[in-house]
Amino acid sequence: MLKMVRFLLAVSLTALLLGACGNSSGNSSSAPTPQPDMLNGTITISGAFALYPMMTRWAEEFQKIHPGVKFDISGGGAGKGMTDALSGAVDIGMVSRAIKPAEVQQGAYYVGCVKDAVFPVVNSKNPVIDVIMANGITSDTLRKIFITGEITTWGQVVGKPDVTDEIHLYTRSDAAGASDVWAQFLGGKGQADLKGIGVNGDPGLLNAVVSDPLGIGYNNLGYAFDLSTGKLPSGAVVVPIDSNQNGTADPDEIFSTLTQASAAVANGKYPSPPGRVENLVTKGKPSGLVQTFIIWILSDGQVFVSEAGFVQLPPDQLAEALVKVK
Amino acid sequence: MRLAASDHFLQGHKKQLPGVSRIRRDRWAGRLFFVFSMVPVALALLIFVVLLYKSWPLLHTHSIWQLLTGRVWKPEEGLFGFWPFIAGTFVVTLVALILAVPPCLLTAIYLSEYAGRTLRAIMKPLLDLLAAIPSVVYGVWGIIAIVPLIQNKLIPFVHRFFGDVPFISSKNPTGFGILAASFILAIMIMPFIIAVLVEILENVPRGLKEASLAIGSTRLQTVRWAVLRGVMPGVVAGIVLGASRALGETMAVLMVVGNVVQVPHSLLDAAYPLPALIANNYGEMMSVPLYDSALMTAALILLIIILIFNIASALVLQHVLGRKWV
Amino acid sequence: MKKRWARRHIVEGIFKVLMLTSFVLVTGSLMFILWTIMSKGFPALSWAMLTQTPNGGYYLGKTGGILNAILGSLYMAGGGTLLALLFSLPTALYLETYLANSSWSQYVRLALDILWGIPSIVYGAFGFIFMLAIGMRASLLGGVIALTLLELPIMTRAMDEVIRLMPPDLEQAALALGSTRLEVALRVVTRQMLPGIVTAILLAFGRGIGDAASVLFTAGYTDRLPTSLLRPAASLPLAIYFQLSMPYPEVQNRAYAAALILTLIVLAVSLGSRALVRRLNKNIFR
Repeated sequence: MLKMVRFLLAVSLTALLLGACGNSSGNSSSAPTPQPDMLNGTITISGAFALYPMMTRWAEEFQKIHPGVKFDISGGGAGKGMTDALSGAVDIGMVSRAIKPAEVQQGAYYVGCVKDAVFPVVNSKNPVIDVIMANGITSDTLRKIFITGEITTWGQVVGKPDVTDEIHLYTRSDAAGASDVWAQFLGGKGQADLKGIGVNGDPGLLNAVVSDPLGIGYNNLGYAFDLSTGKLPSGAVVVPIDSNQNGTADPDEIFSTLTQASAAVANGKYPSPPGRVENLVTKGKPSGLVQTFIIWILSDGQVFVSEAGFVQLPPDQLAEALVKVK
Repeated sequence: MRLAASDHFLQGHKKQLPGVSRIRRDRWAGRLFFVFSMVPVALALLIFVVLLYKSWPLLHTHSIWQLLTGRVWKPEEGLFGFWPFIAGTFVVTLVALILAVPPCLLTAIYLSEYAGRTLRAIMKPLLDLLAAIPSVVYGVWGIIAIVPLIQNKLIPFVHRFFGDVPFISSKNPTGFGILAASFILAIMIMPFIIAVLVEILENVPRGLKEASLAIGSTRLQTVRWAVLRGVMPGVVAGIVLGASRALGETMAVLMVVGNVVQVPHSLLDAAYPLPALIANNYGEMMSVPLYDSALMTAALILLIIILIFNIASALVLQHVLGRKWV
Repeated sequence: MKKRWARRHIVEGIFKVLMLTSFVLVTGSLMFILWTIMSKGFPALSWAMLTQTPNGGYYLGKTGGILNAILGSLYMAGGGTLLALLFSLPTALYLETYLANSSWSQYVRLALDILWGIPSIVYGAFGFIFMLAIGMRASLLGGVIALTLLELPIMTRAMDEVIRLMPPDLEQAALALGSTRLEVALRVVTRQMLPGIVTAILLAFGRGIGDAASVLFTAGYTDRLPTSLLRPAASLPLAIYFQLSMPYPEVQNRAYAAALILTLIVLAVSLGSRALVRRLNKNIFR
């Protein structure tokens, strides 16, 4: 019996090693007819979940044009993308927030690729939902909810002291670009300044709010709206931010469809932050295959942006980015 | 090292007898196996050294006392107080053990003493299966099933009848918190503990049990007085195993524990254990100075906690049993 | 006389009820989890999921499958378990047959207990630091190494616990007949405790194949099938984790299907190896 065990062990180890090492030259088994431009190689990418579906879509389209190029794309969060890019573990890092000076010092070279925004979200059965939808909430009130914690009941939010329902505050537990941006919008420095119960992941935050009538949280554009219908997800409502502080929720401050929200982010009506540019980070200026890919993203790749729930970069920023990369 | 008869025999008969090569093989195997046995020790030391090295930037610029007892955690401003995380880790693990151990013990005794053969045959693969469910899935199950249960049924119940009881009443209105995390942890470690306990109980020498039964004890008395005392070290080992697993479990806990940096005062409070801290922020470490050292320090603290825990339980056993226990 | 008899039996009766309740509670909770996975995972399960790799739109809700993750996980956990086995079995056997209760065995066991409690994210971090130091990128090999590190203490400690329960008479009989310790270890102990050893291997395998934190940084991820040790490889836990984070409910539901697939794989391996052991092992002294 022992002999059989040893035999099986030897066979499986050998099989594993042979099978794995045999193809380490990297060629795929099915070689399509070579296109006129024989670009090939592999690009490794990791980072923000927000950009992950977008990137896989871009990779698919790019591969249609250049079949010799392979992609390895991984999620893990904006922070991981930065860490991986700076340490040379990947070619491109997807980072869904602004790049910090400390990171630039360590060699981070970045270009924006899409625009995204964070929206405050409450449950559709919130006790004061009508008032909120009519008047909106100012960013100062939001600050007092999320950062200082001075406001703790929904009555205080809308100015009706008799409503004593508590605010159930939710935030992200994983290191998220969305949190950083939201905190900065409200006057804080970063994610650690946000109060609230930490839930994992963007969909997780949305689910927490949808399950809690007294809940309030925040989500990226692609998660705050149901991407298949373009409308609000069932059970949640995007809070109008009263940017001009006139005490009413103006029509351009209310967002009930994805198109409305995207348009507001694109033309700058929705403030940035919490709107922001999502960045692709490389260690030092990109070159070769990586550079070609990024240039493609900034030009032909932009058409695929809206189906993933993002906003194309405005033309001037795109031009700037292209200059930076070339 | 324990010597076999063959070693003594070898002394005087080195060249003459056929079986000598077996003995030589035995010696060589002994040396080889010794090298293998060094691997765990070397690995533990290596991890300790690497963690220490990586935390050094933080450790030698901040007072260790302040790090361990400080309560403020604002990495952007250079404030690193680990106490909330340490307290969170302890509370979550302790509650999980309290929830898990008695049912496990009882179930293991039932399985090994009273249950029929078919039941045992079903349970073994079932337990293996459950030990294999990925922690992400436990976390998701927690969010879908446990958190709403606590939030919608338990908390109103507690508020009505136990309004001010310390350790139970809490300001946390959501189901995310210690109770949810400990409950899921308890379920996660149960398969391990039961499997080990059953294995131990089944291997008690039959003669011992039969002798006890022969003098007229009930099966329960047999278990309590004859069997349990002898297997106590194994039982404690099984519990320590479960506890260590609970201390180190990351994904499932961070999805339901609330991730609020505070020292928990009640079962229903949210908390932030050390593994969750590391996992949530590991990607971000390149961006804030000293953040990566802080996370490595958290890992180091966890390592030391585990070390102390293991040594303490060994000492307790030694004291209780009056002999040297390994 | 009659009174005392009645009391013992009453106590036993009470305990029996308690035990049954515990048993039911434990099994009940465990069945609850399995049921949740199955009820949410089954609807999203499809033949395509098992046989295709993700197409570009997979994470946007379109077609494809997770064959990349299935194979990746099997390779990674399989490789990690084999490597860990290579180190664990000798160590566990050594601890029992050569060392008895000497002080070196104390240190080894202490080290194992410590390693067992280290969270998997630390193994991932450790692996990542190590890989950066030698210039290796996230790859299948990195995942295998991280999982080996993770599984090693589990396997060794579990095997150790099991092997120590060896009836000493058997061992001593063998020694008395003139066997060397090596022969006792290989021929007597292994054969006798094989079911327990297999349990230990399965426990480690299950833990390894289901762990996300350790492979996140070391194995990377890719949508392609694992063909090389030096390229990133997908794994089922990460597939689940990523799919859960996508904004599309269809994709999130597929995460449950992936969880179901993972659970079924472990079930298959567990049942298969137990059947194998039963076939091979007719001569246990019980």
